[in-house]
Amino acid sequence: MTPRRGFLRYACLAASAAVLVAFAACGDKEKTGDDGAVVHFWQFWDLAVIQPLVDEFEAQHPDIDIEVEQLTWATGLEKIQAALASGTQPDVCELGSTWLPRFSYEGVLEDVTPVYEAERDSFLMWESALWKGRVYGLPWVQGSRALFVNRSLFRRAGLDPDQPPQTWDELLHAAEKISQLGTGIYGFGQNIGERYVLYKKFMAFAWGNGGDVFDESGEVVLNSPAVLEALEFYLKLAPYSLQEKQEVLDQYFKTGRLGMQVSGAWNLKNYKLEAPDLDYSVALVPKPAPDHGAHASFAGAEMLVVFKASPQKEAALQFARFLQAYPQAKKLSLAAGSVFPAALSAMHDPDFTTDPRVRVFVEQSLTSRTTPAHPGWIEMEEAIDRAVEESLYGRRAPRWCLDEAAREVQEIAARFQR
Amino acid sequence: MTNRRRFVLPPVAWFLLPWAAVYAAFFVFPFVFSFVLAFLDYNPLNVANTRFVGTANFARLFGDPAFGGALRNTILFVVGTVPVTTALALGVAGLMRGKIPLKGAFKAALFLPSILSVVVIALLFKLFYAPGGALNQALAGFGVAGHGWLTDPRTALPAIMAMDVWAAVGYYAIVLDAARTSIPDSLYEAAELEGAGAWATFRHVTFPLLKPAIAFVLVINTIRSFQVFVEVLVMTQGGPLGSTNTLVMYLYDTAFRRLDYGYASVVAYAVFLLSGVFSIIAMRRLRPETAEGRPI
Amino acid sequence: MMRGVRFVVLAAVLVAMAYPLAWMIAISLKTADGVSLRYYGEVWQSGPFDRYFVNSFVVAAIVLAGNLLFCTMAGYAFARYRIRGGKLVFLLVLSTIMLPKQVILVPLYILMQRMGLIDTYWALTLPFLVDPFNIFLIRQYVSTIPTDCEEAARMDGAGEFTILFRVVFPMLKPVLAVVAIHTCLTNWNSFLFPFILTHSASMRTLPVGLAMLSQGAHSIDWGHLMAGAVVSALPVVAAFLVFQRRIIGGLTAGMSK
Repeated sequence: MTPRRGFLRYACLAASAAVLVAFAACGDKEKTGDDGAVVHFWQFWDLAVIQPLVDEFEAQHPDIDIEVEQLTWATGLEKIQAALASGTQPDVCELGSTWLPRFSYEGVLEDVTPVYEAERDSFLMWESALWKGRVYGLPWVQGSRALFVNRSLFRRAGLDPDQPPQTWDELLHAAEKISQLGTGIYGFGQNIGERYVLYKKFMAFAWGNGGDVFDESGEVVLNSPAVLEALEFYLKLAPYSLQEKQEVLDQYFKTGRLGMQVSGAWNLKNYKLEAPDLDYSVALVPKPAPDHGAHASFAGAEMLVVFKASPQKEAALQFARFLQAYPQAKKLSLAAGSVFPAALSAMHDPDFTTDPRVRVFVEQSLTSRTTPAHPGWIEMEEAIDRAVEESLYGRRAPRWCLDEAAREVQEIAARFQR
Repeated sequence: MTNRRRFVLPPVAWFLLPWAAVYAAFFVFPFVFSFVLAFLDYNPLNVANTRFVGTANFARLFGDPAFGGALRNTILFVVGTVPVTTALALGVAGLMRGKIPLKGAFKAALFLPSILSVVVIALLFKLFYAPGGALNQALAGFGVAGHGWLTDPRTALPAIMAMDVWAAVGYYAIVLDAARTSIPDSLYEAAELEGAGAWATFRHVTFPLLKPAIAFVLVINTIRSFQVFVEVLVMTQGGPLGSTNTLVMYLYDTAFRRLDYGYASVVAYAVFLLSGVFSIIAMRRLRPETAEGRPI
Repeated sequence: MMRGVRFVVLAAVLVAMAYPLAWMIAISLKTADGVSLRYYGEVWQSGPFDRYFVNSFVVAAIVLAGNLLFCTMAGYAFARYRIRGGKLVFLLVLSTIMLPKQVILVPLYILMQRMGLIDTYWALTLPFLVDPFNIFLIRQYVSTIPTDCEEAARMDGAGEFTILFRVVFPMLKPVLAVVAIHTCLTNWNSFLFPFILTHSASMRTLPVGLAMLSQGAHSIDWGHLMAGAVVSALPVVAAFLVFQRRIIGGLTAGMSK
């Protein structure tokens, strides 16, 4: 029962050849623009939130058609990469501030320096868009982290809820007192065991103390005394802290078992829905001492970029500027409930300054820092996370950890020389 | 009998054609591409700048502590879950021998975990292992102190392994049960007549005839376990302190976060080789007997 | 006594297996204002949810049909015919399972894009029409079936296709049941490729739609996520309950003589 063997081979070969020929012949699919321009916009917000803005723009510009696509936070980046690799990237895209520098470095983004020069004083959070003296993105919305304070726990611990900790000593003192209230009650929340979070919380203390990853001349100063002091203080908080993932910390705070934690504005919406009776307030992140340092915090920004290869650059940029403008950014912020406009007008808008908690977030953004605009940041943040985690787990001395991390950051930086 | 003319394709060609067409169309290119990637410095954002780097990516593998850690964790994972799952599945299948009331209900229950997506299961277990979660609550009921199962580098990987065993046991138990019912009762009766106890019966009757099915379960489970990823991504992202970093998690990170597709490809082929080697070993060790062993 | 113990142990296993599902349902019903079906309603209205269902069904049906047909053909060929380099080709088939699919994600996207198939049903179905795992299963099973019936049919002058589909196919019910289950399950819950290969909301499948809905930047929306997961699991559970007898029955009937 052995049929001609060769034919099987031929069949497969023929099939493969046909397909490869078809594939080669297909070529790139052209983007069809009808009479007017079609601008493809990829972003991460729910369509219900973003569609009104799109509709408004299209009403004002009948010759431009916006095609919106929603990406998921978890896997959106893969899609953007696949699109760029195949030349099918959108025209306008939302990118996180930690991602932007890499894209700038690779030269795939349109230079928007003229916009920066015109608008620079109207917006915060430009830093991540700066690369080698040019600007490649527009800050859209941002969110900083502030200190959440559980007032009932404060009262129970004999602390004054109207006087949230302003300095590191006060923070340590409060955390200690609250954690003495009983088992299952913690003074402070420290992030551990997950990616992309820890450095945001820790760096706030480092920045507050005048430290940073790089100094002005680009030298790595991660293991400077200022940062080491911050790490040592952070470790002092450990005995009174719940060390867990962000979700768990938010949950514990919501159920009144956590005294304080540095977290983001998304909780304002969550707590209102799920714990309306929770008696809590928000304060600026404490500074090292009354006469020293700053109330620094981490802020993440969502930026709008135009891809250099876009065939509709003008329309794309027009749309991006429209989205960035205060009225639109405000609508998005209010609808999403977890971010604020990057526009400085928010500082004086009663919609953002009446609610005392919201006002603190807005105030905090003025002294917030974002991650260094370096293309290798994703790897660097991993090194920093690891250093802090290793100290938190007591595996290594803080000094050693920071030295290691500084060395790694140096190595990573050396790889991005273009 | 074979009076075929030269240009008529034999049936076997037609039977294989659909597979060959799909494979040729959709997998030859991606597989070749990904193989070539291993020799390149490729970045999706900057395809024009792709450089040929020869075996540099391969050399990197050997000096990379993160890869070593991922390799170690993955092997631990495979060695820790696959035999346990197989043994438990065998045990559960054995429990279902003969007439048992509600057998259908038991089988349905065993099947339930397979219905849910891995993401959902991982998220549920994330809650389960959390400080205020069901596991710690249950332990508190027994007076045992709770623990940060997923935040302790020593317990994070075992916790994920336990979850994986839970998710896989039911399905394989059903498979083995179905295979076991093909063993003729006469053999069991004969064993009983000879005065064989439970263990001896298992060793001399059940096990040899189940070998193909067990081999199947082992191989499939091993290949799948070498690629453990989604659970890690959802629950720990490779932490804490890299204790749950697995090969595919590392691959994913390298490709989609560090944008180093070339090196990621090398890691992928490392997984490929490992799966291959383990599978071949397993298949050799469990070669089916000449008797009626029917694999599914 | 032994039977009693076995029953108890099995019952414990049942609870262990079913508990998380029950918990899932509990989470999906618990809203801030008590027990309600609110999340289910919101999930249903969150987007073209009915469209997601339709897409998932259509894709699952096409992929199932394709697999049942083409994998049987290929598995039979590998089992029955001596093919030059057959072993090699078979290893080739198997090896596709051993390579992590993340590594072909972007290349496949590039390929699909050049073929103009992104964001179509083709993208969601064509690459998955012939799962090598199923070929492996069928080949193993066929190789244990004696060739008598096929020989007899051949003597009677039946062509190969007739033999495969009239004689052998009916004997494959048990393994085809396993193929069907396996294919449907992997396909129904598949997220990454459907997400990457589509762009419009109208082309999304259930897992993609659900992910959009419940996974925020900093927090997971448990209520909606679990409601969505329950909704997504219902058709599979229903199918299993309906076909359970046939499936389990088929498995055991085929196994014993």
